[in-house]
Amino acid sequence: MTGAASAVFLLDMKGRVLVWRDYRGDVSSAQAERFFSKLMDGETDPSSHEPVVYDDGVTYLFIQYNNVYVMTASRQNCNAASLLLFLHRVVDVFKHYFEELEEESLRDNFVVVYELLDEMMDFGYPQYTEAKILSEFIKTDAYKIEMTTRPPMAVTNAVSWRMEGIKYKKNEVFLDVVESVNILVNSNSQLVRSDVVGALKMRTYLSGMPECKLGLNDRVLLEAQGRATKGKAIDLDDIKFHQCVRLARFENDRTISFIPPDGAFDLMTYRLSTQVRPLIWVEAQVERHSRSRVEYMVKARSQFKERSTATNVEIELPVPSDATTPAVRTSMGSAVYAPEREALLWKIKSFPGGKEYMLRAKFGLPSIAAEETLPEKRPPIRVKFEIPYFTVSGIQVRYLKIIEKSGYQALPWVRYITMAGEYELRMI
Amino acid sequence: MNADNRKGELAELKGQLRQLAGSRAPGVEDLKRELYKKVISYLTVGIDVSSLFSEMVMCSATSDLVLKKMCYLYVGNYARGYPELALLTINFLQKDCQDDDPMIRGLALRSLCSLRVKNLVEYLVGPLQRGLKDSNGYVRSVAAIGVLKLYHIAPSSCTDNDFPVTLKALLLHDSDPQVVANCLCSLLEILSIEGNVSEAALREKESLLHRNVILSLLNRFKEFSEWAQCLVLEVVSKYVPEDAQETHDMMDVLDDRLQHANSAVVLATIKVFLHLTMSMADVHQKVYERIKAPLLTLVSSGSAEQSYAVLSHLHLLVMRAPMLFASDYKHFYCRYSDPSYVKKLKLEMLTAVANESNTYEIVTELSEYAANVDVAIARESIRAVGKIALQQYDVNAIVDRLLQFLEMEKDYVTAETLVLVKDLLRKYPQWSHDCIAVVGNVSSKSVTEPKAKAALVWMLGEYAYDMSDAPYVLEGFVQSWAEEDFAEVRLELLTAVAKCFFKRPPETVQILGAALSFGFADANQDVHDRALLYYRLLQHSVEVAERVINPPKQAVSVFAGDQSSEIKDRIFDEFNSLAVVYRQPSYMFLDKDQRSPFAFSEDTGSSIIGPQSPGREDLPSDIDARDNDLLLSAHEKEDSRAVSNGSHGYSSSKFHTLQEFTDSAFAPRSPSPTQPIRNARATPLPPAAVSSTAASPLLAVDDLLGLGPSASAEPFPPLKLNPKPVLDPASFKRKWGQLTVALTLEYTFPAQAMVGLTGPQPLVRHMQTNSVQCMASGNAPLKFFFFAQLADAPANTGFFLVELVVTTSSGLASAKIKADDSSLAPAFADSLQSALSKFGSL
Repeated sequence: MTGAASAVFLLDMKGRVLVWRDYRGDVSSAQAERFFSKLMDGETDPSSHEPVVYDDGVTYLFIQYNNVYVMTASRQNCNAASLLLFLHRVVDVFKHYFEELEEESLRDNFVVVYELLDEMMDFGYPQYTEAKILSEFIKTDAYKIEMTTRPPMAVTNAVSWRMEGIKYKKNEVFLDVVESVNILVNSNSQLVRSDVVGALKMRTYLSGMPECKLGLNDRVLLEAQGRATKGKAIDLDDIKFHQCVRLARFENDRTISFIPPDGAFDLMTYRLSTQVRPLIWVEAQVERHSRSRVEYMVKARSQFKERSTATNVEIELPVPSDATTPAVRTSMGSAVYAPEREALLWKIKSFPGGKEYMLRAKFGLPSIAAEETLPEKRPPIRVKFEIPYFTVSGIQVRYLKIIEKSGYQALPWVRYITMAGEYELRMI
Repeated sequence: MNADNRKGELAELKGQLRQLAGSRAPGVEDLKRELYKKVISYLTVGIDVSSLFSEMVMCSATSDLVLKKMCYLYVGNYARGYPELALLTINFLQKDCQDDDPMIRGLALRSLCSLRVKNLVEYLVGPLQRGLKDSNGYVRSVAAIGVLKLYHIAPSSCTDNDFPVTLKALLLHDSDPQVVANCLCSLLEILSIEGNVSEAALREKESLLHRNVILSLLNRFKEFSEWAQCLVLEVVSKYVPEDAQETHDMMDVLDDRLQHANSAVVLATIKVFLHLTMSMADVHQKVYERIKAPLLTLVSSGSAEQSYAVLSHLHLLVMRAPMLFASDYKHFYCRYSDPSYVKKLKLEMLTAVANESNTYEIVTELSEYAANVDVAIARESIRAVGKIALQQYDVNAIVDRLLQFLEMEKDYVTAETLVLVKDLLRKYPQWSHDCIAVVGNVSSKSVTEPKAKAALVWMLGEYAYDMSDAPYVLEGFVQSWAEEDFAEVRLELLTAVAKCFFKRPPETVQILGAALSFGFADANQDVHDRALLYYRLLQHSVEVAERVINPPKQAVSVFAGDQSSEIKDRIFDEFNSLAVVYRQPSYMFLDKDQRSPFAFSEDTGSSIIGPQSPGREDLPSDIDARDNDLLLSAHEKEDSRAVSNGSHGYSSSKFHTLQEFTDSAFAPRSPSPTQPIRNARATPLPPAAVSSTAASPLLAVDDLLGLGPSASAEPFPPLKLNPKPVLDPASFKRKWGQLTVALTLEYTFPAQAMVGLTGPQPLVRHMQTNSVQCMASGNAPLKFFFFAQLADAPANTGFFLVELVVTTSSGLASAKIKADDSSLAPAFADSLQSALSKFGSL
């Protein structure tokens, strides 16, 4: 059964407890600190340690965010996935409240931290973890203003993700169709893996309780229903909707209808795992002249239609950690050596389709190698880019209707963008 | 801040608080707030501010919510340590519990219940009762958890006041989903702890799995918060639907949860699907197909921690359905930015999904890791390649890879590879030629790790014919005997030199002498002894020594070390919990002392109807212990399962497959969390109906397999049994060992008979009246050894021996009958069955 957590701890980078909230009285903060310092001693890098650790009858689950560890402990056979996710929600809530979650913001706001931890979990069971709902009854500036708190009415409300009575002067909706391309090319220049993760990201600034209806191009919808379509149809592997979408409706007549939450949220996410041609192909030839210098010849080619243009292209070319005296020439864009990242960063502001650009670089190497030759890390070439007005999947928004009983006209704005996700090309 | 300073500051705070206590001056709230904040900040950094307790309480009369919260926090922190002072707070907390503001009522009630002071319990009951009836959902949901808190402080005052009953009512009828969810988690926790001592509570817990409850939860499922959904899904996963249609309906309702953004909800849904379809092999298979995509998405999206949790589950699934992800192996390719704990799991997945069609690509990918990233992962990758090589049949390509690794000339790569080549050679001696060619090129100086060294030395000894310089390489090792720190290597070296000696005596004889003399002088006892043993063997006869030291070897077909399927099943039962992450059933890592009263046993399912004795007998460790107490403990645990088997001397593997087949195809596994509900439903039915309905699916299984209880098919003339037979345990044991199973018999007790079967004793007494005596019996699972004797038989003959195992959850009893005269066994089976059928109807 989903076991209960014993406590939630917020620790600093040295593993000292900054704030903690005890729920069941069976794991003390001293015990947690002891565990954590043991963990830090054992590992050179605690961030690479498994996030679920067993110690002396207690399971500790933790995540790191900025300079803070958020940790929970349990003596029961709890649900690891759920508690780890809960910790991430805690981080989200703190970020919502304090702009940024870090040691300082926790110290400055410890009273609110206590208040939040009190409502997010009761006796080790998660309760309310949505910042929107929590902010209804825990105000950050509570010290000054007169309280008008109510208990979370969201729970009594049929639409738990939206409060009633929201008002905007100008009613607008922004819908971004964002697809990120994940590519993995091995050292033999073979594309070993590619997939696309798409998201319909919405930002709504709408008054009242608006009914929204979204129409997508049919092909995708067909896929979404799991009906096999033959031929070249794209295989959207796994569609997920935000909880506001009426799934029954979607099953019936394929309309995506929903009452949106206020503000930003992901309406829908999907995955596409068909082979995708790498949009930007990078090849690097490396010539090493023993311990004196290393030369690179890098070719970057855009493999999409000429009418599209990739912007903010950044190609990160890893170089040896002891490389010096860079000499770089590029046929387009600019390249800077970033020793802190052990890489050469080649930036191209605008990269139209069907073009090829070159970079040549030469680095000096110290003639004497360091005493202990650590094994080379050999990171891959990584590429970042954005291609506006373009999607790999071909997904299209046909309409976005907004109906509210007050009858206002809302403006929907739709944008498409494709960007690089985990885009890695391994070097030889 | 030093101690004096601190004392001074605390005293100052005390004074200031005291001044403010009675004051009604304007702005006093702000001042209080500042002071409270200071106190709380001390408390946060761990300074003891308990000395301010009474002042803090005195100032607590305020309408300011934040002030109240700080005060509650303070009180909650110190109440347990200062119970007398805590009494001071009761008054204002109780008052706040009746405040007009529901927020304050809720907070006050929560704080009141969190005081954890035993002698204040009496003050909790009233506010809790009112809280559960409060008009505001927030207060009710706080109260629902409050009941659980009360239970942990004082169980009796919780149950005596009928709180569980109230919770149950709210569970079914409250309008607020959060209240329902909190009632559910309180009830579950209370009832499963209570269930360890009280039968009624167990039944009550069972009733939570009643169809009505499950349906009412499912009907309003979408109203629940994501966390509550996880909880409900966990409960639903233990429910056994009435028929296939219901299973499908439930899956339809929950199907969209697989698309939920919360990974915990997705995993919980998957658990429901897998467990619901446990007995429907074809649907079960489809479920695997259905859950694939959502799982793969979860792996590659979201946080690294989420990937970690999901990958742990994938690993469990892939062990059960190896083909499932065979074509999706690319999802498990490591990203450069993955943390190493994720990479490690991905490597394991790649190993697990490798099959003939994808091996080449997977191994190519793994080889890249070997040359790349961090050392730990490089090592793991090489091991993964090795594991794949060991799994497969046609893997020359892999051998090539391993040999390429050796050519990379990185110490750690070489080391790992040598170990693997050794394992490969042990399994596939036919590759020796290729392997040895390359191993021969490895410079022994570049090998430093003991394991790798031992592997290399072993190969040198084993393949001394193929490696021309084997004796000379070994000589090098022997010469540096003193520098060799690891006994493991020195032991291996002794053996290798000896083996080499048998193969190439002229070249090795001197080295052997040197090695043996080093061995005699070795400080390590094992090395010393081995050297001595070899020396004496060789002295005795070289041929004998060769037979001992270098016997012809058989290829190793399976390496030991895999977890038993029993353990794997247990872990699967605990899907979506830490058990999966740790790869251990929860009883292996949960701290037992801590479990009561806090903990929550994972599946009390196995012993629901007829709880035999207080305690947690459903823990497998206990079962084993009890099994051992029985007269004959040598039986495998599977023995206790309900399957007829013709021969006693079965080979376990054959039995396994048959057993597993019936399990997965038709009957819920026992003990399985899905079991209890079957009984919960069966209980109220009249006995006649039960024996036909509840028993029928199982009988149908038997029919399908042709293993039906044939004994009951034809009537036999009743046997006359000796009413007072005598048999001592030793003879019983001997007889049991000698005789083969003459007959097996299955019988399903009607539910109403099972109610009487709370321990072995009632059945033992009942059988006595039927001239069947008990030799030994055990609890959990209920297990009996009976014997009976023909009425007119001479001493020590005409005995019938019976092993009877009763699965308490289903009432299914299976008996193995052995008889001195096996021709009489059917007749005896007949009378045994009639005796059993009379049980409970008296």
